[in-house]
Amino acid sequence: MSPHRIMVIDDESIVGKMLKAVLEQEGYEVEPFLSAAPALARLKEEKFDVVITDLKMKGIDGMEVLHTVKKESADTKVIMITAFASLDSAVEALRGKVDDFFPKPVKIKDLKACIERLLGA
Amino acid sequence: MKIVHKINLANISVIILIALTGFFAFQNINLVLTKLRFTEIADDLNTSFLEMRLSEKNFFLYGDTSALSEIGSKIDESMTTLESVGPDIIKAIGRENLGELKACLGRYRIEVETLKGKGAQGVEMQAGLRETGQQLREFSDRISRLERIKVNSIISRSKRQLFSSLCFILITAIGLRYMTFFNILRSLKQIKNVVASISQGDFRAIETEIPRDELGTVMTAINAMSMELENREEQIIQSKKLASLGILTAGVAHELGNPLNNISMIAQTYMEVYENLSKEDRIDFMVKIEEETQRIKHIVDNLLDFSRPKKSRNTVADLNGVVLRSFKLVQNMIHVCNVEARLDLAEDLPAVLIDEGQIVEVLINLMTNSLQASSPGARLTVTTSCLPENEFLRITLEDTGKGIPQELLDHVFDPFFTTKGNSGTGLGLFVSYGIVKNHQGTLKVSSKEGVGTCFTIELPVYNPNIKEEA
Ligand SMILES: Nc1ncnc2c1ncn2[C@@H]1O[C@H](COP(=O)(O)OP(=O)(O)OP(=O)(O)O)[C@@H](O)[C@H]1O
Ligand SMILES: [Mg+2]
Repeated sequence: MSPHRIMVIDDESIVGKMLKAVLEQEGYEVEPFLSAAPALARLKEEKFDVVITDLKMKGIDGMEVLHTVKKESADTKVIMITAFASLDSAVEALRGKVDDFFPKPVKIKDLKACIERLLGA
Repeated sequence: MKIVHKINLANISVIILIALTGFFAFQNINLVLTKLRFTEIADDLNTSFLEMRLSEKNFFLYGDTSALSEIGSKIDESMTTLESVGPDIIKAIGRENLGELKACLGRYRIEVETLKGKGAQGVEMQAGLRETGQQLREFSDRISRLERIKVNSIISRSKRQLFSSLCFILITAIGLRYMTFFNILRSLKQIKNVVASISQGDFRAIETEIPRDELGTVMTAINAMSMELENREEQIIQSKKLASLGILTAGVAHELGNPLNNISMIAQTYMEVYENLSKEDRIDFMVKIEEETQRIKHIVDNLLDFSRPKKSRNTVADLNGVVLRSFKLVQNMIHVCNVEARLDLAEDLPAVLIDEGQIVEVLINLMTNSLQASSPGARLTVTTSCLPENEFLRITLEDTGKGIPQELLDHVFDPFFTTKGNSGTGLGLFVSYGIVKNHQGTLKVSSKEGVGTCFTIELPVYNPNIKEEA
């Protein structure tokens, strides 16, 4: 069975780099992107199992990523990362639409568990 | 007193004055009329006396006693005339004068009667009669002359009285009106001044004594309004401060969130993948943590910069020099962006008292923004000039970059407002605004999306007479 493919979109390069390091150790295949546009283009070519995206990004934001991903491949899981959960009213709108969301600073252990859960189901 | 009452009072007093003058003039005219009536009577009497003396002469010439009876009837006539004189005339000419005339006439009658009885004999009697006749005439003559003089003097006196009261009325009328209007105008002027300064944002009250009239009511109302406005403005400023504090805290939270998350993730990852890391990788992780803490430090520094009133290191400087220095500092960036930059500096600018470092920071912030908003081939023009009246110098930075959408224009000075995602902190304009404001200057922006943006800085000209506040 080929490894699960995970895409990380965050304009903070460190997020992508760190998640790549951790998740690849877990046996996933990880592709980080610094903005949504090339990520969405890549999604057209290849199917990903999980998309982890930041909510607040310039240009296309996490919200739009969510809609596009769910429209194009409904079974791809989307995990949203938000800067400050309590401050973003958008979080409410996200409830029920995203598969899960994590406020920053992200607990990597929880994120790993979440991915496992989503892929296992 | 109310203005209406003042005007009424003025009007009433003028009317009373006019009535009084009229009354006195009327009295005088009445007096003159009585006197004139008496002079008429006196003239009649005079004619009678003249006729009596004529008959007297006839009697002496011809011894004609019928002449004496004629005199007698004339005397009776005159007596009735005198008796019939009204009390007003008696008052006008004086009771003694009238009595004396009557007595004289009585004596004359007695003499005539005696002569009638004795015939033409008694020579001394004749002389007595002549003398009394003479007296009678002279007396009545004198009275009527005196009365004429009196009439004349009364008329000229009334003329004078009328003239002076007219003058008095005029002066009072004009004076009262002037005083009323002078007060009104003065109050209006004060109101105008205060309203003007209120509209300039200087909420002062009318400090002079407030009159107790309608304008006084207006003034009190304006004072109350001024106070109310001042309170409101304080409240508005307060709430604006709170609002920008709110933006600031939310911004700080958000802005610090990313580097904190990064540090946290690096640390967690380090622990997760520790065994698989080479020595270089581990060092790289620590370098990244250090970078992220620097990033946090930079944000905190910028914030402190803004919130803490800076120890100004103000020096008297040449603004063109400062612009040139800043320009050189971004020269390389201009080259990389392939922007056509131009300087247009006015000559002989007066000096400014500024913290050069801070103004350079502002100019670099603004020029960097312009360059970041410009595509290759765009233009950036920096000009300096002196505003009329030599009180302010102006720097304009005009670019033909992408411009700022109308709806964002209000937010560009907000802390953390940025359209550059993570590559901008959104503090550049916020900090610049604070610096210019600390220099008692202004920083303004105008922009048209797709056309370009113009930032204008105005700084006060250095005035050696004004000691800088410590
Ligand atoms: N000359 C300009 N042309 C177009 N937009 C501008 C210009 N100057 C400022 N802006 C807009 O105002 C925003 C705020 O500018 P500011 O300098 O405060 O922050 P920043 O440039 O985004 O971040 P930093 O200054 O930290 O790099 C910018 O993101 C940009 O959208
Ligand atoms: Mg900037």
